[in-house]
Amino acid sequence: MQAAPTLVLVGLSHRTAPVAVRERYVVATVDLPATLGALRGIDGVEEVLVLSTCNRTEALVSTTRPEAVALAVRTRLFRNAATDEVYEWHGAQALFHLLRVAAGLDSLVVGESEVLSQLKRAADVAREHGALGALLESLVARALHAGKRVRAETDLGQGTLSVARVGVDVARRALGHFANKRALVVGAGETGVLVARHLKGLGVQSLCFANRTAQRASEAAAEFGAEACGLDELRARIVACDLLVACVEGQSAVVERSHFNARALQRRDLPLVVLDLSVPRAVEAAVAEIGGNVLLYDLDDLSRVVAENLRDRSAAADAATPILVHEAHEFLGRRAYQQLAPVLGGLKGEFETLRDATLDTVAGAQVTPREVELAHELSKRLLHATLEHLKDGAKRLRPEDALEHEYRRFLERL
Amino acid sequence: MREPLQLLQVALPVLYALAAALYAFAFASSDARVAKLRRALVVVVVLAHGAWFALRASLAGDTPLVGPWPTVSAVVYSAVLFWLLVAREERNAGSGGVVLSCAALFQLLASGLAPVEVLPDAPRGALSIVHGLTSVVAAAGLAVSGLHGTLWLLLYREMRGRRFGATFGQLPDLETCARMMRRAALFGFLGLTIGLNVGIALAHTGGGWKLDYASPEVLGSLVVWLYFGTIAFSARIPGFGSRRAAIAAAAGFVALAASLLLVFAPWSMHGAR
Repeated sequence: MQAAPTLVLVGLSHRTAPVAVRERYVVATVDLPATLGALRGIDGVEEVLVLSTCNRTEALVSTTRPEAVALAVRTRLFRNAATDEVYEWHGAQALFHLLRVAAGLDSLVVGESEVLSQLKRAADVAREHGALGALLESLVARALHAGKRVRAETDLGQGTLSVARVGVDVARRALGHFANKRALVVGAGETGVLVARHLKGLGVQSLCFANRTAQRASEAAAEFGAEACGLDELRARIVACDLLVACVEGQSAVVERSHFNARALQRRDLPLVVLDLSVPRAVEAAVAEIGGNVLLYDLDDLSRVVAENLRDRSAAADAATPILVHEAHEFLGRRAYQQLAPVLGGLKGEFETLRDATLDTVAGAQVTPREVELAHELSKRLLHATLEHLKDGAKRLRPEDALEHEYRRFLERL
Repeated sequence: MREPLQLLQVALPVLYALAAALYAFAFASSDARVAKLRRALVVVVVLAHGAWFALRASLAGDTPLVGPWPTVSAVVYSAVLFWLLVAREERNAGSGGVVLSCAALFQLLASGLAPVEVLPDAPRGALSIVHGLTSVVAAAGLAVSGLHGTLWLLLYREMRGRRFGATFGQLPDLETCARMMRRAALFGFLGLTIGLNVGIALAHTGGGWKLDYASPEVLGSLVVWLYFGTIAFSARIPGFGSRRAAIAAAAGFVALAASLLLVFAPWSMHGAR
C-alpha cells in the first residue's frame, strides 16, 4: 500500500564523479524534453523528472518495475559510466536523497540555495511535457518545502552559500581587494548573474559580460551597469581583466588557450585568476599550462575549498535530520492514505446507504426534516472520525522513529 | 642594573618564541581568545625589548648599536615594530607566525652572543646615531620585505598546487603580501639611502673612518640598496610582476645577510672599530 517503493532515482554527482565525467552526462536545458521523452518510453515508467545541474545529473521515476527500469535508465542516461560513479536509490532512500538534495545537504557547497530553483525548473519542464504525475508532483512539492524549512530553521542558511561565492572567495586570496580589479564574466545565465552580484558586492572596479548572444549579455550588463560583448571579443577582453569567470551552460570549451596573450600575461603584476564554474567545462584545460601568471580552477578544485565549509556545517546538517525525517514521514503517511482512496470512496457510500436504511427502518414515513438533518450530521461526523483514524493509521505504518533509523542507515551508505 | 639586563636578555627569545607559537596556534585554529592573547603578548615582547635597549643605553650612556649581535637584535626589534605597523594598516596579521618565528631565532642568537656589558667605545655624536639607526631600520625593512616575498611565494605555490589548507586560508592574500613586500622594501631603501649617505658624510667629516669605496662592505651595501630599490619600484617596471619581485625579495634575504656579514667582518670599517 505504500507509494515509496515505486520511486527509483538513478544519477551521478560531485560525490561520485569528477567534473570530467559529470560534463559527459549533463543534460542541457534544450535537450531536456527529448531526454524526458526517451525515459518515458521505457516500459514501466509512469512519471519522470530529470535534474541536471553542475553538481549532478539525476533521473527520478515512479514505476511499477523498479529493478528493470533502473537498469534501463542507467543504460539510457549514463552509458559507459563506471559502476561506482552512478548511484541508484529505491523507495524511501530515493525520497531521502531528494529531500537532502533540496535541502542543499548533497551540494558541493552545503546549504546552497540555487538547487531549489533548479529543482523547481526541472519540475516545470517535466510538467510541461506531461512527465509529472501525482506522485512526483507531491514529492517535489514536499522536497521544496523541506528545503525551505531546513534553511529557515537551521544554520545552513548562513554564510557562503553558492559555488559562485566560493569561487569569488578563492579569487580574493589572489587578487585581494576588488576595488581596483576588472572582471570578465563569460555567460550571462543564472550563475553568471550570481557571480556578478557577488563581485559588485565586493566593489569590483569594472565588470564585463561576454555571451554568445549579445542581447542577453546586454540585458545582464544593464542590471549591474557593466559592459557587454560577444565571444568574438574574448581575446581583447581577457588581456584587460584580472578575473575571468566562465559559467556557460551546455557547450564545449568557449575559452581557449589561443584567447590568452602570453606576452601580456608576463607583464601582469598579479596572476590572472580563471574560474570555470561550468559543466561541461568552458575553459580549455591547456589554459592551466600557459605559465605562472594564470591560476585556473574548476568545480573539482572548488570542492576542495568547500571541504572546510562541510566541516563547519556538519552540526547544522545534523540539525536538519529531524526536519527531513518529519517531512519524509508526512509524505509517506499522506501517500499511504491517498492509496486508500478507492476504499474511502466505498466507505462514504456505505455510510450514506446505512444512514438512509436506518432512517427508513426506524422512523419510516414519520421522519421529520430535523431528524433527517441530525442523521446526516451524525453520519458525516462518524465518517470524519473514521477517516482521521485511517489517516493516523497510515502514518503509523511507518513510525517516525523507525524512519529516522532508516534515514541514518541511508546516511551511512553515502 | 646589570641583573635586569641579563634577565631580559634571556627572556627575550623565550617571549618571542611564545608569541610566535600563539600566532601559529591562532593561524591553525582561528580561536578568538588566542588571537586576543597573542596581541597582548606581542605588546609585552615589544615593551620588554624596548626596556632591554633602554637599559643598555643607560649602561653605555649612548646608543647601544655597537657590535654585530646588538645590531641584529635592533634589526629584529625594528622588523617586529615595522611588521606590527604594516599589519595594522593592512588589517591582516596572518604573517605574524613567520615573522615572530624568525625574530625568535635571531633574537636567540643575539641574546646568546651579544655581550651584556656595553663596549666603552660606543659611537657618539648625532651623525653616528642617525647612521646606526637608519641602517638598522633599513635592514629591518628589507628583512620584512624578504619575509613577505617568501610568504607570497608560499601562498602562490599552494594556490598553484590547488591546496586549500591553513596556509591558503590564513596568510595575507597575494596582493597584500606584494604590497607589504614593496612597502617594506621602499622603507628599507629609503632608510639605507639615508644611512649610506650619513655614513659617507661621517667618514668625510672626520668620523675616524677610512672610507674605501671599493671595499666589499661598501659595495655590498650599495648592491643591497640597488637590489631592494628595484623591488620597491618593481610595480612600475614592465615585466617585473609580483612573482618576480617576490622571488627577488626572498633571495634578498641572502644578500642582506651577506651584506651584514661584510659590514661586521673583523677587517671591515665597522668591525675594525
